[in-house]
Amino acid sequence: MDKKSKYNRFLIWSVLSAALTFAVAFFILGYILLKGGGMVSTEFLLDSPKGFPLGSSGGIYPAIIGSLAFTGVACAVASLLAISTAVYLKFYCGSRRLYSIVRLVIESTAGMPSIVLGLFGYTLFVLKMGFGVSVLSGGLVLGIMIFPFIEVRVEKRLGEIEQDMLLSSYALGVSRYYTIKRLVLRKALPDIISAVALAGGFAMGATAPIIFTGAVIYAKAPESIMSPAMALSYHLYVLIGEGAPTEYVYGTATVLMLLILAINGAAMLFGKVNRGE
Amino acid sequence: MKRDKVFEFIIKAFTLVSVAILGFIIFFIGAESLPAFRHSGVAGFFTNERWHPMGTDPVLSILPMVFATVYVSFLAVVIALPIGVGTAVFLSCVAGEAARRLLKPFIDLMAGLPSVVFGFMGLMVVVGYFERHFSMSSGESALAGGMVLAIMILPYIISTCDTTMVGIMKSYKTSSDSLGVSKWHMVRYLVLPAASRSVLAGAVLALARGMGETMAVMMVIGNSPIFPRLLGKCETIPALIALEMGGAPVGSLHYHALFAAGFILIIMRFAVSMLVSHIKKGADL
Amino acid sequence: MDRIMQIKGMCATYASKIVLSDINVDIYKNSITALIGPSGCGKTTFIKSLNLLVEDEKDGSVKGSILLEGKDARNIPREKLRSKLGMVFQNPAPFPLSIKDNMTYAPRYHGIRDKERLGQIAREKLQVAGLYDEVSHCLDMPARKLSGGQQQRLCIARALTVEPSVLLLDEPCSALDIQNTAKIEAMLKELSRDYAIVIVTHNLAQARRIADYTMFMMSGELVEFGRTSEVFSNPKDERTRQYIEGIFG
Repeated sequence: MDKKSKYNRFLIWSVLSAALTFAVAFFILGYILLKGGGMVSTEFLLDSPKGFPLGSSGGIYPAIIGSLAFTGVACAVASLLAISTAVYLKFYCGSRRLYSIVRLVIESTAGMPSIVLGLFGYTLFVLKMGFGVSVLSGGLVLGIMIFPFIEVRVEKRLGEIEQDMLLSSYALGVSRYYTIKRLVLRKALPDIISAVALAGGFAMGATAPIIFTGAVIYAKAPESIMSPAMALSYHLYVLIGEGAPTEYVYGTATVLMLLILAINGAAMLFGKVNRGE
Repeated sequence: MKRDKVFEFIIKAFTLVSVAILGFIIFFIGAESLPAFRHSGVAGFFTNERWHPMGTDPVLSILPMVFATVYVSFLAVVIALPIGVGTAVFLSCVAGEAARRLLKPFIDLMAGLPSVVFGFMGLMVVVGYFERHFSMSSGESALAGGMVLAIMILPYIISTCDTTMVGIMKSYKTSSDSLGVSKWHMVRYLVLPAASRSVLAGAVLALARGMGETMAVMMVIGNSPIFPRLLGKCETIPALIALEMGGAPVGSLHYHALFAAGFILIIMRFAVSMLVSHIKKGADL
Repeated sequence: MDRIMQIKGMCATYASKIVLSDINVDIYKNSITALIGPSGCGKTTFIKSLNLLVEDEKDGSVKGSILLEGKDARNIPREKLRSKLGMVFQNPAPFPLSIKDNMTYAPRYHGIRDKERLGQIAREKLQVAGLYDEVSHCLDMPARKLSGGQQQRLCIARALTVEPSVLLLDEPCSALDIQNTAKIEAMLKELSRDYAIVIVTHNLAQARRIADYTMFMMSGELVEFGRTSEVFSNPKDERTRQYIEGIFG
């Protein structure tokens, strides 16, 4: 029928697009895991990079610890500040004007390219505040990067708390603080954890913000917040640039990907926070 | 009670700190850019002959990089949009409930992959392919950058479009069915037109995202500070900053020039965001 | 009067839940048949069964004989069936398109490409629905911007674009005010000269005002059917009498 053949075009278009999309997704995931999976051994995970160029043999242990350190600092700082801000905006902010200003500032930051944040962090944290190239500096920059991500999702979740429940609490003569602590945060906790975890995955994969603020080509596993550290994402970049043997590159990529997938997986288990929004 | 006051104070303090730091960023970057603008003049920063910030007589022109940033991002959107919208149509209108639940998480997963990984795959697959099949001396090009970036923004386009389309299907399928039209007629004459604003907003948003992307693009575009051509090398602003940051002594003109470049990038992204808000407002959904 | 639809032994189920049992009724041409009964008695399911929309829903199934113009409804291709039985829902649901596009949406599907012809159909049906004068100057405006009453009339006009033989309306006025309700009732009376209309309503006064025939349903069964005047003044079934006098409401 004429009608059928006309609309066939759309069917073909949508099916082909979907096929292409998922083919690419599976290919990237699969190819890296396949080629790098073999490298993942206790030696690779626990040893330091060796060889010439650096990283052509040995392991990636310091980079793993470094990445975890950067992400840990970022999440700790960002979640503390972002959750507070979300609570403020939803429960304590009286004026519309103030609300708009804060929202504007947050949205502008969300739009800031990560490399520019890195530039800012370099001048402010590394130089002016004297933290030097360190886990702290890098973590702070990453924290700024993920702050809007967490704040938006937490605020959204807080907004979904039923008005009736809140009013019932206040009607009992209970303070805002108590209501928030015992009702709101408890209810929203899974989604908050999910948002923070998702943000952590995002931070762990980021390279640009930490290039000059915390990540270095070679270092031991960081002993304190003030030490510089390696990071998986940066290490991966360095290996590629150096032309290190491909197994090591794929191996590093695999470990990084698996870590992020694990964090994202945990996040999805906790809550229904969606990344695409 | 005392606890309440303390809590309120802490919340307000943290919010203040957050807003202060975030608000400070843009001022700081602006301030650090000033010496560069003073050196070349705001107009000159765009119209000088080339980018040569070092040496005795430095010349600053950011124009090739501005073009490259927009060009590569635009290319990415052009490539990703039809595929993304098509996939969204598939997920919302073709796939059954079970298939949808199975496939959608993979889209979110893709969005979570680090950009270095995309850059790496871009180098291995795309650049390698170009070098082998198009006998180019180097496969690094704006096109490679566009393709890699397209894959990166695909999940975002799909997510936005899918959410809108699912909403439309839910609201209007019964009405449409009762008129006796086929599902594809509904897609062509109802879902797509009604979602078009949302699709446009999503596309422009993806454009903004693409402009801020550093690593993946940097790894495959060759990084020559010249005007972008499809198969030629070019350099985006994020790449410029990332590559030259280490070599610019603090306080030098070069250093300030990089801040100026970053400031311009922020303005560009801001302009695009304004465009998105404008589009969304007109949607009156 | 001529019968346009004959329903015998109709049963409708969702999964294992029986919603309609053994309905036997005739729908007459060029008349208005009102369907009344307490909430949840299956009125909406009944009209959704006539165009077999129930079977498109999850676990929905319709049994029994449904004849449209003498032919078995199941033998008619689904899309054709739907175009013969136009349907309008309770909450006005104009498509998020312009008024014009709402009207040309279905004709386009049925093969009409000519812009002139499409415009003509749109004009015609809008006139029949009594809406044309109000919107002729702004046909490209998004339909959502119309008032509730206008939106509902648009939906009725839209349903007419497929040239149905029967119009099925599910409480079309329940979301509207008195003035709009009056307008729509007047329109339906006009339409009934050319179309068979089945209207579900919880408003007994409305049924009395406009319907030629009335069906009274309870708990999925058809309790009584007949000319409106008779059903209201001389109900045969005790349950009908009680409902009309307001006990069940």
